[in-house]
Amino acid sequence: MIRRDGWRPAVLGLFLMFMLVPLAATVLFSISTRWDRTIFPEGLTLQWWFKVTERSAFVDTLTNSLILSFVTVLLALLLVAPTAYWSYLRVPRSRPLMDILTFIPFGIPGVVLALALIRFYSNVPLPLINTPALLVAACMVISMPFMYRPVANALEAVDIRLLTEAAQSLGAGWSKTFVRVVLPNILPGILSGCLLVFSAVFAEFTLVNLLVGTRFKTFPIYLVEFTRFDGRQASALAVISFAVAWLISLLIIWVVGRGSRPTEALGAR
Amino acid sequence: MKSKRKRKGWVLWAGLLPFLLFVLAFELLPLFTLLPSVFIADGRLTGANFQRALTPFILESFRNSLQLAAVVAGLGVVLGTIVAYAMVTTRNQSLRNALTALADVTTNFGGAPLAFAFIITLGSTGIVTLLLKAVGIHLYPTFRVYSIVGLAVAYLYFELPLMILVIIPALLGLRREWREAAVNLGASNLKYWTRVGLPILAPSLLSGFLLLFANAFGAYATAWTLTGPDVNLVTVQIAALVRGEVQLDPSLADTLAIISLLVMALCVAGYQLLNVRTQRSRT
Repeated sequence: MIRRDGWRPAVLGLFLMFMLVPLAATVLFSISTRWDRTIFPEGLTLQWWFKVTERSAFVDTLTNSLILSFVTVLLALLLVAPTAYWSYLRVPRSRPLMDILTFIPFGIPGVVLALALIRFYSNVPLPLINTPALLVAACMVISMPFMYRPVANALEAVDIRLLTEAAQSLGAGWSKTFVRVVLPNILPGILSGCLLVFSAVFAEFTLVNLLVGTRFKTFPIYLVEFTRFDGRQASALAVISFAVAWLISLLIIWVVGRGSRPTEALGAR
Repeated sequence: MKSKRKRKGWVLWAGLLPFLLFVLAFELLPLFTLLPSVFIADGRLTGANFQRALTPFILESFRNSLQLAAVVAGLGVVLGTIVAYAMVTTRNQSLRNALTALADVTTNFGGAPLAFAFIITLGSTGIVTLLLKAVGIHLYPTFRVYSIVGLAVAYLYFELPLMILVIIPALLGLRREWREAAVNLGASNLKYWTRVGLPILAPSLLSGFLLLFANAFGAYATAWTLTGPDVNLVTVQIAALVRGEVQLDPSLADTLAIISLLVMALCVAGYQLLNVRTQRSRT
């Protein structure tokens, strides 16, 4: 007879297996000489890692991804954080509108946004079509909930109105109030927003593929090219992608604690 | 006095202007410009584009996308809730924390690296495929990871942890006293769940389903890496039209996009409404 509580370890064990086996397999595959005929790898080697990282395209695409992610994070921060602060403090009536506008991108599939931007900007006399600038704007749209939610939650949590009034009654000007009082108090929200945007943009494939194609190759594009050309080297690239996503998630947990990730903030699918 | 305050109100709203302009230029206007070419043909308001767009091939893509999203969301809700229940009722605190952290990290995995990890694991010479073959279970050719079934398995990888994260707060809200009361009144385990537990969880389960459904319906990168053009999905069709792989037919692409947006909007709005309601009842 099965013990009454026997189901719990079984369920958790199966779940762990499902989540960990694909990751472990990818790591092992990337350091195996050959592993498609036998149950265990025929030998271990680091040559796929050396081969794939030696290419100039590796450094180029990684650099492109880092540039794209940093620029998007910076612009999203400059656009969203001050607006969120202003809306909370001075225009409370705008909050429902802000909530809806920043929630909408969550319901737009990447392919649909790409199509809409291409159709719109090929009919508008602005030289944006096929440029990385349009890609950055698209990444900012898709990642808007990731930046707005954590910042808005932080603003809500610390009663920003009271802090601002206290600072100003003590004689601080607007800029001093923002930099010395508001910013330190909502810093965890801002950091978590930045990390979420970074992680999503770094992994973004759909928008890059459709908006700029091969004109601006990023790391995920490079990875997809390799999956059709050399699986072993592709597996090393996949491990790097997982490591980046893992590292950023751990940073977020470390900065703001667990369970603070808004459900709208989902990675690239 | 009043007009002065009113003017001040407008100045305050102006502080939001850069943000509003950005949203208008890169989110709202581009999406709205899809509408005319969907509903207007030969200068008249018409539904003809819909009729023209919905060829058997396109209808199949919608059927596949909806079916895939429904199956993945359904499995995600059921399995995710069971795993989450096991997590919240386990006595081992550090195990629970570790598993929550794992769900937090893995729900963000997706796209190309995930698809490739599944090729390595369950592909025709994949590691699990070889292991199962050694013990006499032949996955291939009955199962193929490069098919819609393979896609469902890969999607579950990010949907399952998402459901776990979404349902844990609701499960923690189930008070132990309710169960004790039900048992004291003579209810069996099954009766407790069908009469007390599940009805209380129902709104959270439904909102979880809608979230997972939208998430799977809009996915593209994972499908493209794993199956390429082999599995006929709506997002794959739209992307092919954008890249110009098939003859460019703008109003066809726009029609597909508008229908997908409608599906997404229904899910996301339903999710949000249910969420606001459960949050209000919890406080």
